[in-house]
Formats: sequence, structure tokens, C-alpha cells
Amino acid sequence: MTLLRAPNFVLSAIALTVALLSPSAGAQTRAETLRYVSGGSVNTLDPTMLGSTREAFAVSMSTYDRLVSFGKKQQGKNWVFDLDKIRGELAERYVISPNGMKITFYLRKDAKFHDGTPVTAEDVKWSLDRAVTAKSLASSQLLTGSITNAQQFKVIDTSTFEVTLPKPDRLALANLATTYVIIINSKLAKSHATPEDPWAQDWLKSNIAGSGAYSVESFKPGEQIILKRNEAWNRSADGKPAAFLRVITQTIPEAATRANLVERGDADVAIDLQANDAAALATKPKIKVVSTPMYNAVSYVSFNTQMAPFDNVKVRRAIAYALPYDDMFKASLFGRGVPLFGAVWNNGPPTPGYPIKQPVTLDLAKAKQFLTEAGFPNGFDTTFSFNLGQAAVAEPMAALIKESLAKINIKVEINKLPDAQMSTQINAKTLPFFTENAGAWLPSTDYYYRNFYTGNHRWNYSSLNDPKLAELAEKARFELDPVKYATYSKELNAMAFDLMAQIPIWQPNQDAVMAQSLDGFVYQFHRQIDFRDVLRK
Amino acid sequence: MGLFGITIRRVGRRFISSIPALLGVLIFTFLLMRVLPGDPAVFFGAGTNAGQAEIEHVRKQMGLDKPIPHQLLLYLKDVASGKLGNSMTTGQPVLADIKQRLPASLELTFTALFIALVSAVPLGIWAALKAGSLIDHAVRMFCVIGVCVPTFVSGLVLIYVFYYMLGIAPDPTGRLDVFASTPPNITGFLLIDFLIVGDMSGWWASAKQLILPALTMALFVLAPIARITRASMLAALGSEFVRTARSLGLSSWRIVITYALRNAVLPVLTILGIVFSTMLGANVLVEKVFSWPGVASYALNALLSSDYAPVQGFVLLMAAIFVFANLFIDILYSISDPRISIE
Repeated sequence: MTLLRAPNFVLSAIALTVALLSPSAGAQTRAETLRYVSGGSVNTLDPTMLGSTREAFAVSMSTYDRLVSFGKKQQGKNWVFDLDKIRGELAERYVISPNGMKITFYLRKDAKFHDGTPVTAEDVKWSLDRAVTAKSLASSQLLTGSITNAQQFKVIDTSTFEVTLPKPDRLALANLATTYVIIINSKLAKSHATPEDPWAQDWLKSNIAGSGAYSVESFKPGEQIILKRNEAWNRSADGKPAAFLRVITQTIPEAATRANLVERGDADVAIDLQANDAAALATKPKIKVVSTPMYNAVSYVSFNTQMAPFDNVKVRRAIAYALPYDDMFKASLFGRGVPLFGAVWNNGPPTPGYPIKQPVTLDLAKAKQFLTEAGFPNGFDTTFSFNLGQAAVAEPMAALIKESLAKINIKVEINKLPDAQMSTQINAKTLPFFTENAGAWLPSTDYYYRNFYTGNHRWNYSSLNDPKLAELAEKARFELDPVKYATYSKELNAMAFDLMAQIPIWQPNQDAVMAQSLDGFVYQFHRQIDFRDVLRK
Repeated sequence: MGLFGITIRRVGRRFISSIPALLGVLIFTFLLMRVLPGDPAVFFGAGTNAGQAEIEHVRKQMGLDKPIPHQLLLYLKDVASGKLGNSMTTGQPVLADIKQRLPASLELTFTALFIALVSAVPLGIWAALKAGSLIDHAVRMFCVIGVCVPTFVSGLVLIYVFYYMLGIAPDPTGRLDVFASTPPNITGFLLIDFLIVGDMSGWWASAKQLILPALTMALFVLAPIARITRASMLAALGSEFVRTARSLGLSSWRIVITYALRNAVLPVLTILGIVFSTMLGANVLVEKVFSWPGVASYALNALLSSDYAPVQGFVLLMAAIFVFANLFIDILYSISDPRISIE
């Protein structure tokens, strides 16, 4: 009997599915769709989730609004984000109190979430409470702006909101513009919260409760995500909705395939091609390469200052003068970036910014002299490690370093590590000598020094423990007087060079390879595409 | 009882005897993942500024703060209740990920296996019939090239020629064009789902996406199948019953296909089981090159970031498939040669 009934069941299943299928899939023209291909994948819709990827950050910029956002400025021919120009996003305007300890936000009265509920100060309060309370990436980020607990947030009325700071922190406002500080539809989120998960972190991983320029049409984690324009959105600088009707973010693991797709015009834009592919594509007529030095990122050659022989500053200096900088720059980056070597400092660092060009060059005689002074006239053996994910850049670099250091009798063994192993070992402080990258969302000098030169965590690559530098960086953080801040910053730059804990070697370019028809690309602090910026001419 | 009953009994016995092996694989992978030097908590707890507190939180979230025997017990309990844990890389339950991705891998593997079979077996027979001739050498050479060229190279070459230069193939980005609408998820096999709903243009679109990756994989496994076919055909053709058949004046077609091939097919079946299982795991590179959303690339991504649960789930799945593939081959054995009984 059961066997006889099976075909009926199949038939009705088919009929049902056909019925369900038919209304969807309206016609969309290709020109109104932006197809972005990337190597990484979107793993969550909530950017604050521990372990969320950079691609997930990019999506969240378009799906959620923040209180404020960064303006843009021109750098050469390209546009980049402007840390010093912060405009309202969900806030219509904001007022900073004269003592710098209170920021009042006046919210847009017309702003609505995707489901039509108006955005209120209550939502902002809940979202910021979540950011500082829930276990997520947000709390440690906000810490860098002296925003640490829920008592600092106050709802004045439905459209006025206030943040109080314990100290006038230079980065407090900028922090509220970063990826993590999303404003969530608190009513919707709360309805999906559970006693074990009071901040609805589980639900928000795969659902959007935002007011952003795009909503999510479909999401296949690790494969692709399709965004649909929110027609009511008016939080851009000119008050218009985003340019594209749809945005497709697709994971294409193979860099050569991504390059092919863009070149053939099947994909519109890619930002993580290999440097040589980008250089080759720049010559093609249909392709445009927007090559922007990542001015908030830097690549280092780092030493473990707590491990012999690199605990000796003379050894570190010896190596600083023994690296073949020019060759590395050409072989690894194909010259696509800003070199941070070969400067001449007459009396101390010339500028207060970070990173700045270091007065180091390849000078083997000097290196040899430092090494002899350090007590290693016959050199020593060590390993140089890099991350497998960075192999395209780091492999030629490692080979050149090995070759060059052999000339001063330092035998280098190259150690290639999978990403997770590399971060584990950096965290455990067991690697003596390696290359790593650093990116700072808020690239102010004190921020770099506080995060990459102090503290007992993974980001202090060189495990530097210098109380004087730490104290100065902390002092600079709360210095509102720009002249004094510049003095401190220069001092920090001088100290860092003196300690030689790690050598900033260059800032690579971000090569955004796109169709000629695309315009409006802005290099953003999160080093991803902000889909709201781009349009088709 | 008959043939059917014997087969069922044998399959049942085989299945039960494979349970300890599956359990062993499970425990071994579990321990292996924990012995590997990467620490997932550090990797995933790593936003800028994230410190020890975040790392410890991830550790707790992943259950890695407990002693390993305790973790193993919890994991076994989970597996017994049909759960495989959560993936940190995709943020989804591993079971859901695998359910979604396995059909993609299977569809690719089956198609590739089909292509390999229909080209390798005739090639093997042909080479055996003309052993030592130019044709034999040509077939051997073709097989050697197929097996020597790494799949990602042949994949990239195929993409370069058919997509980039000629523009015949669709863009190598997964199972279906991003602008096409997907069929309802009935079996998860796009070719079948499109057929069920009768969407022929959709079927053709997904078939077009499938051809290049399947071809790449087929090239890679051509060699073992063709070589085994050739060797066992040579043995069969040289045997006495073929000589007898020839002397009786049977048509050469009948001798080759009915008598020689039927007798030569057992080793081919054996190798098929192995080829199938290896293909499913070894198509990582093909899946990477063609952005195919399958289980192998999923497992590789997880492995690179030391994400334990997906890797363990993947290995368990592979072991289970291996067992089932071999069971299936067993059944084929008894159909092709009822005398066989492997006890």
C-alpha cells in the first residue's frame, strides 16, 4: 500500500513547490546590480560576533546605520575616509560639550527600520548597551574610546540621546562610527532574545534588524549574500538612497578566477587580487584600477623583544640595517604601496603621524658593526615566520631576508604557518622573528602605539614592555590640545625607532579592480567596499 | 532465500562490522584536531584590541575549556543525538552546512565519475585489445598526463580556454549563475531538482556550470580506471574461456563484452569504490578553483582556521560514505558474479 501511495506524494510535493516558486525572481537588469567577488566570505550578519570576517563588516555597513559616519577626503586622485570629518548618520547632528565629556545626539525624526518602526533613542540605548555589555568584538573596540559601560548612555527624549565620558577621549566620537556600533531595532531583537541570550546574538547572526541602505534578500553563509536596496533610506551625504538596486557579494576563493571574472566584465569589482594581477589588469581598456595606499595599515618585520637574542636592541638594529628593503618592496608588492624605509631624520622624527618613513636602509657594514657590539660577531640561527594567507607577499620577502641576513652570518630558517597556528604562536609569544600586518580603524598615533606596542595581547607583536612608551601613549590619548598631541606623537615615533621592536616596512596599496563604468569608490577604514559609495556612470 | 536475501544479510553484517571503524575514525580525528598546534579560540577571538577575555570567552563557547576526555564524551553524546556542533567559520550548525553542501559535492563527483567511466572503460578495453600497439601507448600517455597534471592546473587551463578565451563556458562561480533563480530544494541535486519542476533552461544552466569542474575531476581519475580495465581485460582475454569462445567462432563483440568484460569487471568495481570515496575528499582543489560550494572546500577552510567541529564532521561523513560506497560495491559484486561471497 505504502508503495502505491508514493507517486501521489511526489506529485503533490511537485505541485506545491511549483506553486511556491512561481511568483519570485522578478526581472532585474544587470546594470542595476553590483556584483562584488571576494576571496573571503560573509559568516555572519552581526558584525560584532566573535570571529566575524571583514566581508561581514562590509555587509553590515550597508545593512545597519550607525549614529555617525566618517566623511571622505581626496588623497591624490582617490577618495579615502576622513577620520577628522564626522557627520551624522542616524543622528541629524551632534553636540560635544565644551569640556569634551558629553556628546549629545539629535536623531533623525524620519529614520525607520526595515520593518517600518521608527528609530528612537531607546533603540540607540539598547544597541549601545549591547555593544558594551554582550560578549562581542564591540566592547573591546569601544574601550579605546573610553566607552565602557551602560551607565554612560542616557535617553533624554525619543529623539535625543547622550553619551557621557569619564575623560575627554579623542576617539570617543570616532568609535561610534566604526563597524561594530550598529543601531539595532530593539523591539524586534528583544522578541528573539532568550534568557541565555539576552542580546539576541544567536538570532542576529542570521537576521537583520537594522535601518541601513540595504536589506538582505538571501544569505548563504560562506557562499554569497544578496542585498536589496532600502528605498526609504536617506542617511547618505546627499540624502538619496544607494545607487544599486541589488548588491551580490560572492565568495570566489581563487584569486585568478576573480581576476578573470572582472576582466570579462561578469563581476563588477574585486579588491583582493594579487598585486601582479592588479598590475596586469590596469593595462586593460575595460578595467579601472583604483590603487590607494592603505593609509591606516602597515606591514611590519617584528622581533620578539622578550626572547634571546632579540631581547638585545643591538641585534634588532643590526637586522634593521641588513634587510634588502628595495628588493623586498619590488618582489613582494611590485612597488604597489608606500615604502616606509630610506628616510633621513635630521633631528628626530619629522612628523607626528603614524606610520612614518623610518631612517633605515640596507647597510651591511653598519649591521655587522651592531652585531659585533651585541656580542654576536659570528651570527646566530633563527627562524622567520609568516602567515600562509600572506604567502604571496611574504614568501618572496622571506627568501630575500634569508639571503641578506646570511651575509652577516645570521642563518634564517623560513617557517610558513597556517593562519590559526600563526595567531596562536604570536599570542603565546613563541615566534622570535616574523612579519605581520596591522590595521587601525582609527589611525591616530596614540591608537597605534597603545595597540601595537603595549600590552600583553596578540597585537603587541614584538611583546614590547616599555613603561615609558606606554605611559606616553596613554597621556597622548587624552590630550585635546593638538600642539601638545603632536609633540607627544613625535616623541613616541622617536622612542619606537630607538627601541626598534619592529620595523614598519611599508603600506601596501589596496587595488580595487573594477569595471570602467563604476565610480565613487572610497577607501574605507575597514578596508572593504562600502556599497553605498559606488555607482554606475 | 535467494540472491537478494544473501546480499542483504551480507550487507547487514558488513555494516555492523564497520561501526567500530567509524567510532575509531571519530575519536582519532577528535584527538588529532586537538593535538594540532593551532588554537581556534585565539584565531576567532581576534578582533583588534581583543584580549585574553575574548579569547577565553570563545574557548568557553566552543567548549574547549573542559578537559579533553570530557570534551570527547560531550562530542560523542552530541553525535549520538545527531548533532555535529557549530562551525565558527560559517556561524552555522555543522549538520546544516553539510546538508547544504554535500549534494553539491555528490553531484559533481557523480557526474565526474560518470564521465570518467564512459571514457575510461572503453579506452581500457581498446588498449587491451591492441596491447603494445600505438593506440595502447597513446592511451597510456593520455592517462599519465591526466594523473600528472594537478587538478587545479587542469581546472585553471579549462577555465582559461573555455571561459576566458572562447567565452563558451559560463563564469566558473559555483553551481548556478548568480542571476539565475534557484530551483526549490527537493533533493539538493540541481540537475534533478530542475527536472522535477520541469525548468529545462535552468537545468541547462546548471549543467553548463557542472561540465568544466566534472571534466577536471574526471581527467584526474581516468588513469586508475583505464589502467585497471586494461590489466584485467588483458588477463581475461588471455584466459582459456576466451580462447574457447574464439575457437567456437563467436563474434568478437560478444567475446569482448559478454565474456571477457563481465569477468574483468570485478577489479574495476573495486577501484570504483575507492576512486569515488577519494574523489569526494580530494576534490578540494577543484571546488576551490570553480568556487564550488562543496564539503571538501568547506572542510579545508575550517582546517586552516583550526575550526574543530566542521573538520570532525567532515571526516566522519567521509568515513561513512566510504563505508556505504563499499557496501554498494559489494552489492554490485554479487550482481556481477553471484558466486562471490566475501565473508
